Amino acid sequence: MIAFLRLAVFGILGLSAVYLALWIYARSVRREKLEKDWAVDHPDGGDPDAREAYIETGVETYGRSLRRRLILFVFLLPAAVVAAVLYLTNYQ
Amino acid sequence: MRYVKWTVLAILAAIVTGFLHYTLPQHDVVRIVGTYQERQDLSDWTRIFWATPDDQATGLINRDVQFIQAVKASGREIVYRNEDTGWSWPPYFKFDTANLLARAQDLISTSDNPKWAVVTHYGWRNIYFSSFPNAIAIKPVAGPDVRVIPWFNIVFFVLLAALLFMVRRMWLQFRERALDPALEDMGEAWEGVEERAGQAADEARGVWGRSRAWLMSLKGKPRA
Repeated sequence: MIAFLRLAVFGILGLSAVYLALWIYARSVRREKLEKDWAVDHPDGGDPDAREAYIETGVETYGRSLRRRLILFVFLLPAAVVAAVLYLTNYQ
Repeated sequence: MRYVKWTVLAILAAIVTGFLHYTLPQHDVVRIVGTYQERQDLSDWTRIFWATPDDQATGLINRDVQFIQAVKASGREIVYRNEDTGWSWPPYFKFDTANLLARAQDLISTSDNPKWAVVTHYGWRNIYFSSFPNAIAIKPVAGPDVRVIPWFNIVFFVLLAALLFMVRRMWLQFRERALDPALEDMGEAWEGVEERAGQAADEARGVWGRSRAWLMSLKGKPRA
């Protein structure tokens, strides 16, 4: 039981680090894309406040859908892999 | 310096390769010839080759371990240990040790009337350290010539390559968006500091600085 708890605790810690890194990375990529989109639409640079608002809303909206996908892939997928390995090792 | 670099890289590569070779599953086509159970000492450094079952007292210095004896298609003998990995490393989550022993005993055969089986295992057999690979699964097969495709390892290495690629992209993105701008700011800030320090030094020269410069000039050094 101790070993299971150890796996669970360190697993959650490790996956949280992965989650955080992917969260920062994906939002950074999206922010860059939004900046480039703005630059294409406004070759003269446009209004700095409007640009700021455009990028912030874009990143914010993206973050909501990102959170759901990240939780699915970073936490639920490894849990499913553990279940699959457990099944393959012991019941086949 | 170049030799040092390559030596370090070679050692790192050997460690990673060895680690993967020890941990990833491998398949042997064998004929099982027997099983036995033997008390094993766990008190010296070869402890690392034995599993750590969940219900084992930490102070235990010896315990019974099950073994499965087999002969490969090539005629070479191989002995596997049969131990739970439990929830510990490596992550095979094996709990069916007793069942696996029953299956192994069911497949015991003689060379006159062989029954072939694929044994999935991890670990190394080393006769000097008395280390044994741990059998994970045993599956009966038709003959000694079956070809086992290591699907798990194929998927594993594809995913590992994808992971390394992803880490590289994340690092490049981090450097471009976070590290480089910060370093630029630091560079600019540092230039500012140097400039201000220069001004401050000029101001601080004052009487003392001027008289010192005058003294220096007497020694034949130009006034700075």
